[in-house]
Amino acid sequence: MSDTSLIAIFVSMALINNFILAKFLGLCPFFGVSKNLKNALSMGIAVLFVMLLASLGTWIIYDLILEPRGLEYMKIIVYILVIATLVQIVEMTIKRTNITLYNALGIYLPLITTNCAVLGVAFWNTQESYNLAQSLISALGAGIGFTLVIVIMSGIRERLELSNIPKPFKGFPIAFLIATMLGLSFLGFGGMV
Amino acid sequence: MFATISILTGIGAACGFLIFIMSKILPKEDETLAKTGVLAEILPGMNCGACGQPGCFAYAQQVAKDKEFILNTPCMTLLQDGEALKQLEEILDISLDTSGMAKIAVIHCYGNSENIFDYDGIRSCKAAAQIGAGYKKCPYGCLGLGDCAAVCLQDAITVDPETDITKVDPEKCIGCGLCIVECPHGLIELIPRDMPHYLGCSYTYKKKIPGREWCEMGCIHCRKCIKACETDAVTWDKDRNLPTFDMEKCTASPESIEACPNNVIIPISTTPPAVSECH
Repeated sequence: MSDTSLIAIFVSMALINNFILAKFLGLCPFFGVSKNLKNALSMGIAVLFVMLLASLGTWIIYDLILEPRGLEYMKIIVYILVIATLVQIVEMTIKRTNITLYNALGIYLPLITTNCAVLGVAFWNTQESYNLAQSLISALGAGIGFTLVIVIMSGIRERLELSNIPKPFKGFPIAFLIATMLGLSFLGFGGMV
Repeated sequence: MFATISILTGIGAACGFLIFIMSKILPKEDETLAKTGVLAEILPGMNCGACGQPGCFAYAQQVAKDKEFILNTPCMTLLQDGEALKQLEEILDISLDTSGMAKIAVIHCYGNSENIFDYDGIRSCKAAAQIGAGYKKCPYGCLGLGDCAAVCLQDAITVDPETDITKVDPEKCIGCGLCIVECPHGLIELIPRDMPHYLGCSYTYKKKIPGREWCEMGCIHCRKCIKACETDAVTWDKDRNLPTFDMEKCTASPESIEACPNNVIIPISTTPPAVSECH
């Protein structure tokens, strides 16, 4: 990517290289939590928050500790460690402040730990050798893109619950089809940056 | 080599320490949370929402906070399950008087009114009720398209496809009340489970002497049930123009059932009388 201005990074991460629809990362919560608009929004915001924290944490560790010492090969294990810690903290915060939200997110909250979208954004930042501001903007874009898609999906799926779908397509099959069409429509953003 | 190992260990230790610090800073876990967990396991866990809470867990939270809550809004499903109820009483250290709490849904119509026209639209009572008052002669009757049957989590409501008569299976019904709002004619009511009978008609039109010309099964407003009842449990509801049964006074005496010339008073837990047997 030649243009690395902050706006270009944001638009690229949110729309053009959308994590769910273009990079196929984070599909587990995308299909798991998109049944209901409210939970989808909470999940999206949780992922956005973790992405921001993870980008910050991994940037600090990579730029200040790993890179100067030539320990780039350790980034996988270190990133997973950092992300797991952050998710633990987020989970603890939600559990102690909003137990209803905690129950609604259910298994998907611990799954953010191993959510490839979060790890993906950290790796992407490293790979593109973004500085701190660029990393944060890229995480913000990725998180907003994730939230946008999961909210659109949940809105559609809420409508699908009410519509007359042939029996073999009910539930996940039609959700996969919808995801495909969403992906195709997001292709329209290609070439903007 | 040593530096690498110590850096990785250091990062790990720092992460662990961060979690420790955060767990100290954050507000303590709600004390009732452990109790909520135990309660949530006893509760049915099907999240029917009939208690008015967003789910069984939220209900358990309310009960864990204030055990009186269960007296005011009992979990209808739990009331059917004696063993779970006993466990609940032990945990909460209260004794529940379940008599009169258990409810059952009844449909105040036997729906034998003839069709005025063939309805070919959406297979939903709510849609059908938008056209006039439905496609049946009686505008108060059950339309038999099964909106209530569709929401019933217990499969307790069935629609007889031949006669369009909707029945509640008293053995399956748990009295959760989800079906009540589904009926566009408001025919479904929750009554105490130990009520011996209910009225199978909701005809509230005052002017004509109703009944036979619209529906063979209708209440003909003869008021014989009131005279027959020894305990004064049956009274005449002037607003609705129908007899009502006092839930507290009513005993299982069969006088009013027998007195009804049109078999509109229907005993619970028996099969509905066949329509051809109408007097």
